[in-house]
Amino acid sequence: MGDILSTGVSGLLAFQQALDVTSNNIANSSTPGYSVENINLTPEPAQGTAGGYIGSGVEVQGVTRSYSELLAQQVRSSQASYASYNTLATQAGQIDNMLSGSGTGLTASLQSFVNALQTLSTSPASTASRQALLSQAQALTQQINSYDSQIRTYGSGLEQQIGVDVQQVNSIAGGIAKLNAQIATDIAGGQTPNQLMDQRDKLIDQLSQYVSVTTSTQSDGSMNVYIGSGQALVTGGVPQQLATIANEYNPTESDIGVTSAGGTTNVTSEISGGELGGLLSARSQVLAPAQNALGLISVGLATIVNQQQASGMDLTGAQGQPMFAVGPVQTDPSSHNTGGATLSVTRTNLSALTADDYRLSYTGGAWQLKDVSSGQSVAVSGAGTAASPFQAAGLSIVVGGAAAANGDSYLIQPTEAAPAGLALLLTSPVQIAAASLAQTGASAGNSGSGVISAASITAPASWVPGTYTLSFTSPTQYQVTNSGGTVVASGAYTQGQPISFAGAQVTVSGAPAAGDSFTIASSTAANSGDNSNVLAMIGALSARTLAGGTTSLTSAANNLVTQVGVTTQQAQANASAQQSVNQDAATARSNLSGVNLDAEAAKMLQYQQAYQAMAQVIQASGTMFNSLMDALKYG
Amino acid sequence: MTISTLTFQTNALAEMEALQTALTQTQTELSTGSKLPNAAADPAAMEQVNQLNMTLAASQQYVSNGTAASANLQLEQSALTTATNALQSARDLAVEANNSALSLADRQDIATQLQQLQNALLGAANSTDPAGNYLFAGTASGTQPFAQTGSAVSYQGGSQVNQVQIAPDQSISAGDAGNTVFMNIPAGNGTFSTGAAGANTGSGSIDTGSVINATAWVPDSYTIAFTSPTQYQVTNSGGTVVASGNYASGSAIAFAGIKVTVSGAPAAGDQFTVAPAGKASVFSTIANLITTLNSTSLSSGQVTTQIGTALRQIDNALSGFGYVQASVGGRLNAVTAAANSAQTTQTELQGTVSQLSSTDYAAAVTQLSTQELALQAAQQSYASIAKLSLFNYIS
Repeated sequence: MGDILSTGVSGLLAFQQALDVTSNNIANSSTPGYSVENINLTPEPAQGTAGGYIGSGVEVQGVTRSYSELLAQQVRSSQASYASYNTLATQAGQIDNMLSGSGTGLTASLQSFVNALQTLSTSPASTASRQALLSQAQALTQQINSYDSQIRTYGSGLEQQIGVDVQQVNSIAGGIAKLNAQIATDIAGGQTPNQLMDQRDKLIDQLSQYVSVTTSTQSDGSMNVYIGSGQALVTGGVPQQLATIANEYNPTESDIGVTSAGGTTNVTSEISGGELGGLLSARSQVLAPAQNALGLISVGLATIVNQQQASGMDLTGAQGQPMFAVGPVQTDPSSHNTGGATLSVTRTNLSALTADDYRLSYTGGAWQLKDVSSGQSVAVSGAGTAASPFQAAGLSIVVGGAAAANGDSYLIQPTEAAPAGLALLLTSPVQIAAASLAQTGASAGNSGSGVISAASITAPASWVPGTYTLSFTSPTQYQVTNSGGTVVASGAYTQGQPISFAGAQVTVSGAPAAGDSFTIASSTAANSGDNSNVLAMIGALSARTLAGGTTSLTSAANNLVTQVGVTTQQAQANASAQQSVNQDAATARSNLSGVNLDAEAAKMLQYQQAYQAMAQVIQASGTMFNSLMDALKYG
Repeated sequence: MTISTLTFQTNALAEMEALQTALTQTQTELSTGSKLPNAAADPAAMEQVNQLNMTLAASQQYVSNGTAASANLQLEQSALTTATNALQSARDLAVEANNSALSLADRQDIATQLQQLQNALLGAANSTDPAGNYLFAGTASGTQPFAQTGSAVSYQGGSQVNQVQIAPDQSISAGDAGNTVFMNIPAGNGTFSTGAAGANTGSGSIDTGSVINATAWVPDSYTIAFTSPTQYQVTNSGGTVVASGNYASGSAIAFAGIKVTVSGAPAAGDQFTVAPAGKASVFSTIANLITTLNSTSLSSGQVTTQIGTALRQIDNALSGFGYVQASVGGRLNAVTAAANSAQTTQTELQGTVSQLSSTDYAAAVTQLSTQELALQAAQQSYASIAKLSLFNYIS
């Protein structure tokens, strides 16, 4: 009878606890990160009687949470991927929106500049057309400047965000470490701190938004946390501190380091996934390439237009002056350098110039050049001296100053600073060199059908002003004499083939007769109605002058827009794919760990009924006891 | 499988949010009329649209280049018409003057009229556009191309002419240099020119001649000398006699692939010259004619010879003007043709751009109603499912 009572009491207590767990589950049905808890009931040990073993009630063995480490890891890895792609998509989307404005984009502005040149070609002496061209040039310059400053603004916002994220990661790491310590203590004391473990899981989930995370559970119940490609962030109860450190070449750019007693180690290359990973990829895959590409376009524009200006004559009769200034090659020594060498880098060949960055390093007594973007070594000619500079990738590099130390390195950015320095140098419409430096004409007495083209000054530096006579000694032989009568060029005549001399080039077509002659003479201010240099400028601007002669200026601008668009689109597509992967993983996890109210309601009814039944058992035990007492009273 | 109540709520909410986002996107597409807000929406289409827009802008520029060139060419056309009319009148006067019955006073009268035509011609050759640029000055458009010193006119302009691009692969000359139009006109008959020696005493005159056999023509200075009124011989510059014969007035003298005709009565010792033709400006032709007509010392043979030469050279100039006018007309036609073809191209380009970047309204409206339906269904089903709970039945 005492057994019935004690069995009844064990049941009452167990179902009371079960109802406690159920009500706690219901209370937390909307708490994110809460893992549903189950009460584990086992029968009390049976007691041997003459009639066999009879059970003695129920025992609460513990309360466990429904949790799967595998499902949690799936949620975190997809969360980290999603956050990374989403951040990249957001950052790239800003550049994309900036560049995509249709009708106002870079391609449209370049075309407007060419159109202004075309208009000038129809009225070369008109001040209005010249002024219109200058205004277009100014607008183009301002547009590129504003793109550049916008990219820089996004860049500095990105650096700030990296700083904020690093703080977040540190604070989360601190939280995880504290929980680890407490959990380990509790477990050592024989308790299972479900709530603390839920809190820790939630913090690790949060961490996966900032950076990709892997974990390993230790025997003491604590959890070690690793980020990126395996950098330890939390070991037991000890967190590592992340810090932003200045990039060795560019102090405005943050790298990520881990601070320890021995100093700070740069772990930027190990960081991947999450918002931090996304920010780092946006910086290296979108912002820097976009700025470099914009720089290459700026250098191309300035180089082509300035060269042609030098081949022409302005309205006052003077040789054309450069129209655009452009920013120089950006060269930065590493902050780790111990030697005293200084670099002087200039652009020499537009067609070989790239939008990549390069690293020149001094190892084992030799200089080596590497393309940072592709990681490939670049062959270099020359000795690096002023007399014989290093020549590579359209650059000329002179190493000066004191001796370099082994391991010294320099970052060379051929076009990075170009767009910021793009500026219109011409101030007056008369300075536009619409006319060629030389004018051609045919002798009145020519009897053949030869026609001479306009003269183009292909090498302004070697052009010697004067009057040149191109005469045909026979229908198939020509010679060019200068005003002193010295022959400066001669050769066999082929119709339509350029004839070059003294930095100038002309083309004769038709059939000149023996004795026919043509003159090529320096232009004077009177020839300011000439448009041949403007036409040459239009031709040079539409020619494929970039990337080894494969790309024109306008297609480079179009490629930039497309490239950023493709990156953005891919990041968006990846983000949306990872979002649904993440949603599926989260659903799978919550199907295991989440609270289902219907299930809890059913359990509540179940435990309630069991509790009522147990109460009946106690009452039955009382009734039995009373029956016995009554029997004794009358017996 | 158990479904977490919280997940059911958050997933349903997330799906409704996604549907709402899609609906807003479609709505934006409908209200802006653009389905290409940025390159990320369709990078390939954006690349094409940018390329097509550049082509379109360039094409529009070519048309306006053509319009500017046309304006110039039409001015040139009308200046040439003025010049042709003046020269035609000068020709009529030269024909009138070519009459031995005229008195000196009559000839001087004609010379006065010719002087006025000469001025008109010079005015046409120095025409300007409304901006003051000289039409026939080549690249030296700010310099008056034809300057008169005494009766001589010299060319001060440039001999190079500007090209204007009127289509992607087509350029035309925006004008013609004055030296080719007015100055470098073939003298004589184009191959050679003839003249009567100043010391001639007879009344013989020589015509401008013609080429019989171009391959037999040896360019050189020839002298037709009359040894007697009935005998002539032709010598070249080396003194070699290349032809000789009996003279009959009006019958041809042929040598070295050419023939000339001497008329009238040359005296013994009279000489006529035949020399390779150079170039003569239309102004010098008329100025020489005026000098001839005003002259009191020339023999009738010389007057006839010089008027003949002048007439021939005026004809050469007229045919030159005609040639330039035809060429200008051809260029004007080219501009019109280029503008027409540019219009077709532009329509096509605009069509493609619109296809790539503008909203397809039919498709967008259908999409909008589909998305609307999906959102409604999601909302309704959520509202009814969310109400279901076992707790409703526990009392």
